[in-house]
Amino acid sequence: MDYSEAQTGFRQQPKVRMRNQAIDTAMDPSQLFEDTSTGARSGGYRGQETAGAGYPTQALLSEPMSNLAMAYGSSLASQGKEMVDKNLDRFIPISKLKYYFAVDTVYVGKKLGLLVFPYMHQNWEVSYQQDTPVAPRFDINAPDLYIPAMAFITYILVAGLALGTQNRFTPEILGMQASSALVWLIIEVLATLLSLYLVTVNTDLTTIDLIAFSGYKYVGMIVGVVSGLLFGRTGYYLMLLWCCASIFVFMIRTLRLKILSEAAAEGVLVRGTKNQLRMYLTMAIAAAQPVFMYWLTFHLVR
Amino acid sequence: MAFTLYSLIQAAILCVNAVAVLHEERFLSKVGWGADQGIGGFGDEPGIKSQLLNLVRSVRTVMRVPLIIVNSVCIVLLLLFG
Repeated sequence: MDYSEAQTGFRQQPKVRMRNQAIDTAMDPSQLFEDTSTGARSGGYRGQETAGAGYPTQALLSEPMSNLAMAYGSSLASQGKEMVDKNLDRFIPISKLKYYFAVDTVYVGKKLGLLVFPYMHQNWEVSYQQDTPVAPRFDINAPDLYIPAMAFITYILVAGLALGTQNRFTPEILGMQASSALVWLIIEVLATLLSLYLVTVNTDLTTIDLIAFSGYKYVGMIVGVVSGLLFGRTGYYLMLLWCCASIFVFMIRTLRLKILSEAAAEGVLVRGTKNQLRMYLTMAIAAAQPVFMYWLTFHLVR
Repeated sequence: MAFTLYSLIQAAILCVNAVAVLHEERFLSKVGWGADQGIGGFGDEPGIKSQLLNLVRSVRTVMRVPLIIVNSVCIVLLLLFG
């Protein structure tokens, strides 16, 4: 009795799925990507509800058993997929990571400009929409992982190129560079986490945020090394100095809003050892960036 | 320069060992870092010292059994491969 409806629902699925997706994307502007994985599933059970009205009974006489089996099988598969998703999500926060990669070309361009010249930017507040931060696509202040990841890879390749121009290149050296840069990144993030814990900062900074913020310095390093390749040692020092100053300003202006308490971030003077400590912490994190930038690049240019 | 993941793991093991070896009665209470010191009153935000003591105590509690295993594996590996 009931499976006739299930069957027409299954037949009708593609059409319903398309309609559902259109509705979903229209209703939910904060969605990061068009999530095609849920479309089929929701199409499946929503199709069952709306089925009976649409198609007459001519379709179900063909091969009812095989259709039923297919519907059953696909529902099993989607259940299994759901379970894998849930368990994977427990170890690696994929849904959170998706947020950090929701970028587009305009955002990347603007953010790179901000990293090299942060002095004119006025509003540093990350905008929220119903308690969840807006995706980087729509908000230039939101931290992303796309630029740090790509800059990290580019830094390793540029380091290989720079060593190649000095006839010091061997294939192992790429691995050594990557390993060394990764280790310094891990140490920096761990040290920041430890000091945030010691100062007992109430902040919404997550570990992934910290990785993103400490990954932005690779952009300046790449700029420095490339100009060192083009213009020699003087160019390297000038560009690195400029990028160091920029990243220092960028980090202070960004982290100030996250680490200091609200009143102090607004510019109101708040007395107390607590706030002083937080200010020192912000300064220290920002001041660590130029040190790392110099430490990771000075041996590449001669 | 050659600061690789291997040396990071080594350093992490040594650091955790160093924290876990601090003894509550024999060492910490004599330096003034005992369990009852440095803990503020109710409603006070905990200071750096109490947070640090908390961390040391947690590391000692949590890492005791894993450290035994990791250290013995380390000893065997280093004996075998130098």
